[in-house]
Amino acid sequence: MDGYSSPNLIAACYAAGALSALLARWSGRLALTVGHLAALAGAVAGIGVSLGVLLGDPGRTWTQPLPDLFPFARLSLALDALSAFFVLVISIVAVAAAIYGPAYLRAHTPDAGPARQAAQVFALNVFLGCMVFVCCAGDALSFLLCWEGMTLASYVLVVCDDRDGENARAGLLYMVMTHGGTALLLVAFLALTERAGAFDFTALRAAAAGLDGTTRTTLFFLALGGFATKAGVVPLHVWLPRAHPAAPSHVSALMSGVMLKVAIYGILRFGFDLLAPVAGPLPASWGWTVLVAGTISAVLGVLYALQQHDLKRLLAFHSVENIGIILIGVGLAMILWRREDAGGALATVALTAALLHTVNHAAFKGLLFLGAGSVLCRTHLRNMEELGGLARRMPWTAGLFLLGAIAISALPPLNGFVSEWLTFQALLGGASRFHGPAGLVIVFSAAMLALTGGLAATCFAKAFGVTFLGRPRTPHAERATEAPTSMLAGMMWLAALCVGLGVAPGYAVRLLDAPTAGLLHGPGASAVVTAYGPLVLSTAPTPGGTLATAISMTMVAALLIGLAAIAWVLRRGLRRSPPRPAPTWTCGMRPTARFDYTATAFAKPLRLVFAALYRPRRAVIREPAGTVYVLARIHYAGEVVDLSETQIYHRVQRGITVLSRTIRLRSTGRIHGYIGFVLGALFLALLLFGVAEK
Amino acid sequence: MTGARPFELVLLELIFLVLLGPLVTGTIQKLKARLQCRQGAGILQPYLDLAKLFRKGTVQADTVSGFFYSIPVLVLAATVAAGALVPVLRAGPPAFPLGDALMLLGLLALARFLTAIGAFDAGGAFGGMGASREMTIAPLVEPVLMMVVFSTAIAAGTTELGALAAHRGTSWIFAWRAADFLGFAAMLVLLPAETGRIPVDNPDTHLELTMLHEGMLLEHSGPGLGCMVLASHTRQIVTLGLVAALFFPIAAGGAGATELLLGAGAFAAKILVLAIFLALVESSYAKLRLFRVPQYLGIGFVCAFTALALRIL
Repeated sequence: MDGYSSPNLIAACYAAGALSALLARWSGRLALTVGHLAALAGAVAGIGVSLGVLLGDPGRTWTQPLPDLFPFARLSLALDALSAFFVLVISIVAVAAAIYGPAYLRAHTPDAGPARQAAQVFALNVFLGCMVFVCCAGDALSFLLCWEGMTLASYVLVVCDDRDGENARAGLLYMVMTHGGTALLLVAFLALTERAGAFDFTALRAAAAGLDGTTRTTLFFLALGGFATKAGVVPLHVWLPRAHPAAPSHVSALMSGVMLKVAIYGILRFGFDLLAPVAGPLPASWGWTVLVAGTISAVLGVLYALQQHDLKRLLAFHSVENIGIILIGVGLAMILWRREDAGGALATVALTAALLHTVNHAAFKGLLFLGAGSVLCRTHLRNMEELGGLARRMPWTAGLFLLGAIAISALPPLNGFVSEWLTFQALLGGASRFHGPAGLVIVFSAAMLALTGGLAATCFAKAFGVTFLGRPRTPHAERATEAPTSMLAGMMWLAALCVGLGVAPGYAVRLLDAPTAGLLHGPGASAVVTAYGPLVLSTAPTPGGTLATAISMTMVAALLIGLAAIAWVLRRGLRRSPPRPAPTWTCGMRPTARFDYTATAFAKPLRLVFAALYRPRRAVIREPAGTVYVLARIHYAGEVVDLSETQIYHRVQRGITVLSRTIRLRSTGRIHGYIGFVLGALFLALLLFGVAEK
Repeated sequence: MTGARPFELVLLELIFLVLLGPLVTGTIQKLKARLQCRQGAGILQPYLDLAKLFRKGTVQADTVSGFFYSIPVLVLAATVAAGALVPVLRAGPPAFPLGDALMLLGLLALARFLTAIGAFDAGGAFGGMGASREMTIAPLVEPVLMMVVFSTAIAAGTTELGALAAHRGTSWIFAWRAADFLGFAAMLVLLPAETGRIPVDNPDTHLELTMLHEGMLLEHSGPGLGCMVLASHTRQIVTLGLVAALFFPIAAGGAGATELLLGAGAFAAKILVLAIFLALVESSYAKLRLFRVPQYLGIGFVCAFTALALRIL
């Protein structure tokens, strides 16, 4: 890439989208069309720019100063390979969202006034632009400004879909949690900028070189806490399953598929770049913390997802799971980096797995959220117990959702399997290099990853089966029709990516060369993972010189197609007669939708197996009709709790309540008392600082 | 990339494996019948059943979607594709990269996922119930299976099944270490679960309420059911072949016809040993309650985790 104006082009597109939405607020239709077109242009420009950087000269950082807005800091943009990769991920989903958005907003909220539609489009463009420029920021101040812009724009999108109490509460929780995280980030950044005397990342890097081990680790954990809040790592995830489903579906796709990845970008930027020691491995505590947090998030995320019956909430919990899988790869790369003799090949495999899962998750989670959005806009229902039978009414949506479900369940031959396979191989290689307890932790993490994959398949068998198959359970589901073409087009773009990244992942690995080589200062991804050619995936050779494992997704896909062709002939049978339709066997009764297995029933065995974790509660209320033998009505209510919510957040909440009650007792309402408190606090502060100065 | 098994050999192995699959079921059924002092059907009965199914017409539930018709095709294709990854006649990796043990488990999981989807489609309670139970057991079995694979893979440095088998080579049980014994024990615990047999599932049941795997096949008929049944046979022999590749001795062998015949005979003998084990277990135990199954699988988990720990420490 030679152009210096290319990121400016992205900025210009998103700014034009935002502005045009504001100017065209007298006509909702115009605002929707123009705003989304501008977003589409920005996303395409983003893909172009990032591909230019990723395929161009590796190791080159493109920088551009920004106008001096503040006297104390010089703002700049810096686009290196890592930034470019995340810009690519953002832009891929943004393309789908921009194609999908106008028809969705028109169909889902037809009665929304033009002002609200314009506000949504404005916020969408600001949101996209801020995400891109968080990744391109070249200094702490523009990073934080864009970070905050991203949070605020997404907050607007969360609360503006409809303003009932639940959305507002979800938005408030989201604001509180992310601002807590931003506070941690702010402390980490300010500690660095104070030492560097400047805000740009080059100066921060130089300042971090002189840090002692404890400070370095403290700063890393501050940053990790901030980013983990945004990424929805357990137990900081409580806002995520509330806020993501509340937004319009294409924004949910962006929040789940992309916004969380910006936090992953932050972790990588801090861990491997800003705070990394000049030579030698990263402190051991970093990688292990990330690995263990990732493992816990993966397992708990999918376990809680299993018990959700709200389609979008279920998908949001799966984001917690997938962020966990990405963090397993990141943590392993941190552990292995510069700590092995084989030239860092295994760390490269781990980081490649994490980055590949980043783009894979963006593709299939985007696809699934858009699919859920199509269901939502045609039925206005999110509870899958009220859906059913949609595959006959919305066949395209159902097929695309099924594709996403297979991909997210890490089943071959789609893309989820590829990145999980690489993660498994990295874990296995790590386990055989670390003996003792460290190896056991890694192996346990691998076993938990396997459990996660199996549970995800169960969860999506439920989500797809209950939502799309069987008989419709409500008139809304019965009357559903296929989604508009433009919405299907947005989904098809992501579905094509799921297939492409699954069947021929080697070409995507080539894009990871520059980020992995740049971060790890070692071999690029394709030198390790696709050493035998682009169609073959292989792992790092072991020190013993034995043959590394090599698989070919392309060959397996070809084999599957060939075998399916043979099986098709078998399926048609010798008689070749068309199938004779007959009602489903229901022990002689007339089949109705009540016979269909529900989501609650489907997940019940696992609810009992993991009862210690779910603490399930159920209430059955029977209304007898005259005698005890005849019941007029049975009311059933069941729920599971999120342990981190009851064990941590509710306690914190109680603590705060008690504290505020105590304070209220002391606040008498007389001004003398308050002045006394202020003076006392001032005296105490002076005393403490005086002691510290000495 | 050079490997011991060229393309033609892998294809030959695949055909051999698929053709042998129903025979294993027939043998197990015959053994069970004899153990229960019955005469039982001949061991070729599963072939006759399949032939009959493929000759029949199809009855299809009137509520199904367009997916239902293609579910048996995809399930059969995924299961047979998993069969292509098992070394049968000879040890060593294939001459071209195809897939490893994780891919094999992934393909079997794909087949199971699609079967569960198909069970939902007809909209009866039995299908959903079968799918729910099968998909409850599966995620508990899968990690343990993977840990057994890992415990041998860490010793061999690869997860490619042919290479794993070559690493085991011709070493008999005398050369085993503690980790091998524990891994094998875990595998034996898992075998009935993965092949859908007592004490986890009962393939011969006639009561819908006790069905796991069979419950999902209720709404399939004719050639579609034939595909599903053939897939079940293949799944069983693939699982047994996985155990054989991981734990039983296998010769590297030459390319001559005699060696191949010898390899085929040796493979059949290994499968027969495991089939006898399954028949014995089926005849001597009762089916467990569904909620006892996790505890049963817990034994496998402990064995597999200890095996892994012994390898690493």
